[in-house]
Amino acid sequence: MNIYCLEDFKVEFEKLNSKKSYNNLEQDIIDYFFDKSTIELSAGVRLNNSEDNPYIKKRLNGRGGFRLYFLLIIKQENLYLMFVHPKTGSEGSENITDESKAFLYKKVLNCIKSNDLYHLSLNDNKDTLIFKRTEVV
Amino acid sequence: MECLTHKSEIADTFSSVRSFSYNEKKSPLIDQERINSFLDSLLEFRKSLKEKTETIISFNDRIERITWYNDLDEECYMLINDLISTIKDLHSSLIRQYISMNYIRQKGIAKEEIREFKNTIDVLKENYQDLESVFFFLPEISEFKETTKLLSLV
Repeated sequence: MNIYCLEDFKVEFEKLNSKKSYNNLEQDIIDYFFDKSTIELSAGVRLNNSEDNPYIKKRLNGRGGFRLYFLLIIKQENLYLMFVHPKTGSEGSENITDESKAFLYKKVLNCIKSNDLYHLSLNDNKDTLIFKRTEVV
Repeated sequence: MECLTHKSEIADTFSSVRSFSYNEKKSPLIDQERINSFLDSLLEFRKSLKEKTETIISFNDRIERITWYNDLDEECYMLINDLISTIKDLHSSLIRQYISMNYIRQKGIAKEEIREFKNTIDVLKENYQDLESVFFFLPEISEFKETTKLLSLV
C-alpha cells in the first residue's frame, strides 16, 4: 500500500503531534495504516458509496480519539490521508460539516491530478512518520 | 458518699459498654448483610451497564457497515430513514439514563463502566449523523457527486 497525504493533513498532524496530550496519534496512524491490505483498510464510514475509490471516515481510539478522513484508490493500492482532528482536548472539535467533507474530497482529487502530495514512510525503528514531497506512482 | 457516686458512675459506664459491646457483636452480621446486598446491587448495576454498552457497540458496528452496501433501492432508503429516527430516539433515552447516573458517577461508583457507556452513546449519535450525511445530505451536494464521477476516471 502506498500512503500519501495532503498538505492539510501534514499541517494538522504536526500541530497535534507537538502537543503532549495527542502524542499517541503518530503511533495510532502507524498501527492502523501501515502494512495493511486494502480490504483491511476498507472499514469505517464510507462517505461516497464508491466500491473502487471509497472515501472513508475512520474513528481511531473510539469516541474520545481521533477522526481521520482518507481516500482509497483500490486498483492502484494508493491511500490518501486527507484530514485528521481530535474529538477531545484543547484542539478537540465536533465532526466536520458535509460541505467540508465535499471540499476535502474535491481537493484530494485536484492534488492527485497535480501531484501535490506527500509520500509517507516510516523510519528504521518504524515508530516515526517521514513525509516526503513526491510524485504519485 | 463520694465513693457511692463513683461506684454508680462506674456501674453505669460498665453497663453502657457491656450493652454496646453486645450489640456490636451482633450488629456486624446485620451490617455485613447490608454490605453484601449493596455490593450485589453494585455488581448487578455494573454488569447490566456493561451488557447494555456491548449491545450498543454491536449496533454501532452494524450501522457503520450499512454505509458499505451498494445498489440500495427506494425501500432500503426508507428503511434507513426509519433507522435514523429510531437511533435518534434511542440516543435521547440513553442520554436521559446517563444523566440519571450523575449522583452515582460523582460518588465514583462504576466510574469506568459509566464512562464507557457515555463514549458508546456518543458514537451512536455520530453514527446516525453519518448515516444522514452518507445517504441523504452528501449525495445532494453537486460538487460531491461531480468529484465521485471524476474520481472514477482516475
